[in-house]
Amino acid sequence: MKQKTVTIEIDEQGNSSIDLAGFQGKGCGDVANAFQSTDVVTKSRTKREFYVETAGQQSQQQRTQ
Amino acid sequence: MSKFQEMRTVLSHEGYLIEALKGIGYTPEVCAEGSALFGYMGDERPERAHVIVRRRQLDSASNDIGFRRDEGGVYRAIISEYDRGIGFDDAWLGRIAQAYKERQTMAVAKAKGYVFQGRQVVETPQGKKVQLRFAVR
Repeated sequence: MKQKTVTIEIDEQGNSSIDLAGFQGKGCGDVANAFQSTDVVTKSRTKREFYVETAGQQSQQQRTQ
Repeated sequence: MSKFQEMRTVLSHEGYLIEALKGIGYTPEVCAEGSALFGYMGDERPERAHVIVRRRQLDSASNDIGFRRDEGGVYRAIISEYDRGIGFDDAWLGRIAQAYKERQTMAVAKAKGYVFQGRQVVETPQGKKVQLRFAVR
């Protein structure tokens, strides 16, 4: 299983961004929220795998309805 | 006599601010009720601050630099025109904000149980960026 890592990058103005690797679906948003809700992160980037998983979940939900 | 100017910051946590100042080499003075700032001649000024870097830690002709907590709980930097002109300017405040954010990030990650994996400083055309990496279980 791929290790889940969070990288926070802080520039010389104190602006910060978050980069998440190894996450799939909702877990990604939870970790991002943990940093955003405490004002640690001002920008976040979501990777393609987040969208793939989310889209997969949505289509699965549609199929079960 | 160099006039003091107040500048808004986004810093609001006293502990992180103190740690950030220490991290870049200062020994700040903390006064919960606020303490007077002094000019380069040792003259007491009307401006008061809660976290102060005394002038002896700065340049030989510097005035004190203060951080005053405003009504909203956010610190305002009080820096003289002279000191702004010799490098204690927005860029300097930015570096304090960077050090502050680093401490804040470490505290939040620790509280969430994330495992610190390393710190890296990356040179970019926009300046140095600090990267903090954590593992999530």
